Amino acid sequence: MTNNIDFKELWNKQPIAVPDTKALIEKANAFKRKTRFKLITANVLLLLTSVGMGLVWYYFQPAFITTKIGIIVCILSMMIYIAFLNVMSPSLSDASVDMDAKTGLKQLLELKEKQRFQQTVLLNGYFIFLSVGIGMYMYEYAVRMPFVWAAFTYGIVMVWVGVNSFYFRPKMLEKQQAQLNQLIAKFKEIGTQLKD
Amino acid sequence: MTFEEIHKEYWPKVYRQCMGYMNDHAAATDIAQETFIKVWQQLPHFRNESAISTWIFRIAVNNCLRQLQKDRKMPTSELPVELMEEASIDLEPQVQFLYQCISELPEIERIIITLELEDVKQKEIAQITGLSESNVRVKIHRIKEKLTVKFQQHDQ
Repeated sequence: MTNNIDFKELWNKQPIAVPDTKALIEKANAFKRKTRFKLITANVLLLLTSVGMGLVWYYFQPAFITTKIGIIVCILSMMIYIAFLNVMSPSLSDASVDMDAKTGLKQLLELKEKQRFQQTVLLNGYFIFLSVGIGMYMYEYAVRMPFVWAAFTYGIVMVWVGVNSFYFRPKMLEKQQAQLNQLIAKFKEIGTQLKD
Repeated sequence: MTFEEIHKEYWPKVYRQCMGYMNDHAAATDIAQETFIKVWQQLPHFRNESAISTWIFRIAVNNCLRQLQKDRKMPTSELPVELMEEASIDLEPQVQFLYQCISELPEIERIIITLELEDVKQKEIAQITGLSESNVRVKIHRIKEKLTVKFQQHDQ
């Protein structure tokens, strides 16, 4: 039993094989392509939907103001979502990585707090705007239908909105928030280890 | 220094540092890989404001700390023993025990001791962690004491 264990010697004892550099670069490129593809797909899908709604306005010339407001609200909510995806989302994950651990952790903690707020506000906003928009958009067409059909159509949409608002959205939020809260608590704990 | 040279020289250091932090070959390889992907992406922007080693270790350390964000669906510790053995590389028992002891320390202590064992100067460790040099010195001393006690208990 000794008090003088040479940890450095032990540490360097294990030979470490260096993996192929080319494979690593290839992996980095593939990752970049994948991220970009996901972002482009989301953009294109939401933009196409917005364009589709715009075309409805152009070709069918809705008579009611509610329809027009509905279309605008729907497009607006999708645009806000796109803006978040393109601008804020990358800034949340793409924080500077070459600062010292103390600063890095502080920045990470701020970002996570911001993310916690944004997730709630953005997701709630998106659902509310989209539901209101669809509800208004449908009104003109529902009025022209026989009452039973109108009730049926609105009923289905209400069920969809209800399931989203009271089941999927709270579930999604709860999961995200629980993860975030746990993460924030852990980062704070590590932060205390860095106090001089 | 080209990326190839950096990769060749620093991979073992970064891998060991991650291994000390995670005590898991697959996870350490993942973090080391992510670190070098970031190094490769950021290298054109590196402006020699610090030593290249400080810069690389800062990226590695931040990556280690950010690992918490990743939802590891099945931590290796929960795998059956046979699978775990397959997943890890052959390590000498003493080296394995060292990794294990280090990974049981609080996060920042893990980072400090792995850098110290990698022969990173205390001044540089201070720059990497954001702690003062004197604090780093004190911490290294205490961590080594902790490790010595663990090794002594293990030997008994």
